[in-house]
Amino acid sequence: MLPIKIDYKRCNGCGICERNCPGDLIFMDQATKMPVVKYPEECWLCGACRIDCPKECIQIVFPLISL
Amino acid sequence: MNKECWVMTDVLVVGGGSAGTMAALEARKDGLEVALVDKGGIYRSGCGAAGNDHFLAVLESGPDWDTPEVFLKWYKRLTQGLVDIKIAEKVYIQRIKRLVEELEEMGIPMKDPGKEDYIRTRSFAQPGDYFINFDGRALKPMISKKAEQAGVKFFSQIAMVDLLVTEGKVVGAVGFHIRTGDFYVFQAKAVIIATGNATRMYENPSGLPFNTWHSPYNTGTAQAMTLRAGGEVKNLEFVNYTITPKNFSASALNAVVGMGGHLVNAKGERYVFKYHENGEQGPRWAMPWGTYVEEQEGRGPCYFDLRHLSESAKKHLIEHLLPVDKNTFMDYCEQKGIDPGADLMEIQISEGQHPAFLGSVSGIFVDEMCRTTVPGLYAGGACAVGIGSLAGSMCFGQSAGAEAAKYALQKPEILDPLPEQIVEIKQEIYAPYQRIGDYTYNDVENKLRQIMSDYLSISRSEEGLKAGLQELNKLQEIFEQIRADNGHDLMRINELSDLLLISKGIAVGALARTETRFGLSHYRRDFPETQDDWNKSTHLTYRDGEFRISYVPAYS
Repeated sequence: MLPIKIDYKRCNGCGICERNCPGDLIFMDQATKMPVVKYPEECWLCGACRIDCPKECIQIVFPLISL
Repeated sequence: MNKECWVMTDVLVVGGGSAGTMAALEARKDGLEVALVDKGGIYRSGCGAAGNDHFLAVLESGPDWDTPEVFLKWYKRLTQGLVDIKIAEKVYIQRIKRLVEELEEMGIPMKDPGKEDYIRTRSFAQPGDYFINFDGRALKPMISKKAEQAGVKFFSQIAMVDLLVTEGKVVGAVGFHIRTGDFYVFQAKAVIIATGNATRMYENPSGLPFNTWHSPYNTGTAQAMTLRAGGEVKNLEFVNYTITPKNFSASALNAVVGMGGHLVNAKGERYVFKYHENGEQGPRWAMPWGTYVEEQEGRGPCYFDLRHLSESAKKHLIEHLLPVDKNTFMDYCEQKGIDPGADLMEIQISEGQHPAFLGSVSGIFVDEMCRTTVPGLYAGGACAVGIGSLAGSMCFGQSAGAEAAKYALQKPEILDPLPEQIVEIKQEIYAPYQRIGDYTYNDVENKLRQIMSDYLSISRSEEGLKAGLQELNKLQEIFEQIRADNGHDLMRINELSDLLLISKGIAVGALARTETRFGLSHYRRDFPETQDDWNKSTHLTYRDGEFRISYVPAYS
């Protein structure tokens, strides 16, 4: 399940999504400096990661059982 | 070996959501040192994460309904005397007008641009249009920024575990950093706990445990901490169920009924009228209750019906309300293939939980000064009983901040924590790293949800409740076998520990209360009527692994 889809071609590695996520799901990778969704199944589907993204590169994709 | 960090402050606020941030901002006004701790990033922490659309306000603008008297009279009837109205009067009524002004001064758009008046709506049988419809997407970030600018010290990504108590007084709290694993000890003259709602203990109708109405990352930590520190919690047996879109526990009901939307069953009947004379304009409990009976009796599925609304009402609802309160609402509609203005939207009864909806009577017992029964410990927001809703929680937090600051200003020195207490808690926190057990926190939390939904959910009976309590006690033993690999696991394990304690409290309260009250919230098959001699609150304390129950008569 991957409710948070990040377009890494547009992402600037600012880390705002990691800061905003209330659930500790997103981790900035030390090597690539890109955000990784480490706990996708714990997603609240709240959109806090997306709301301040300066590059608008986050898509929320609802898992099938939540539709 | 994990680093150990000690922080000394005047006022410690545990929980950096809407209530906690307001508490910290207020406590700072007298120049005290204030520490705000949250396991998230604070900026958008808590239920306010991505925004809110309704702000409950009594503004005394002229009409009779817009007065404290009318509001409080209604609120007292709503809570059936199980909430001390003195609290709502002091923490909320005395602060709300000024809070709305403060938010406008901060640049939060409480009115539509270019408009003179607030847009205010009413729902759930309120006697007046108390809900300001506003764009709250920047609300939490704004108050977070103000708190930081004011000099509140932020401690993010720290999960607080327990309070430190010396000679019966709260002297601080301990926790750990969820990324580094470092151990944190906070010492303070006063502690405010504001960790919000408790959820994730009941099965989620979608099957996704974190797909919850209010923040899934709030698991009753303040409530559990209060019990462990010798404080009191009340009315835990009342579990809230609400109506949400099918498979997606999003806030929507308030907006829908507030704009005149309907609830219909599979036959197209506006079924809520069968359960309350005011139908969808009736009290909140009538909707999940009605939906439950309709589904049980085979007249489901049930739906939101917005098709009859005017174009401007639809536009307001679909553009300014639904996606503001739930940022991903339109993603859900698009991906599910629903046009909410043109199609029926299937609904469901949500997972059970303890949120601070307006009318909630469950949580930490405090007085109108936000004091718990433990000296030095204050509580505000969704974790405490007094006033619900976002605006209520913000005022509650602000009040707690003011009171805790007054207390801290009087206290000349900080009492030392007991070293053995710290050592004991520290050992317990990190024990899961050493375990070679078979279970992850997921396994055990799934089991908790199964127990709660099987025995402690809607339609309770004495035998079922006793069986449930037995299962919860068994689960406590397995709890000692859960392993952790990192700080995130440790955080979830501690959340589970708090949920388990709260769940036992629910069982104890539900067994004691031999009546039915608040619709689905506490429905005893064996005592299906609401009884006058049960016009009282259950109060729980916890010592040496045992709950003690006492009763407080309904406030007159």
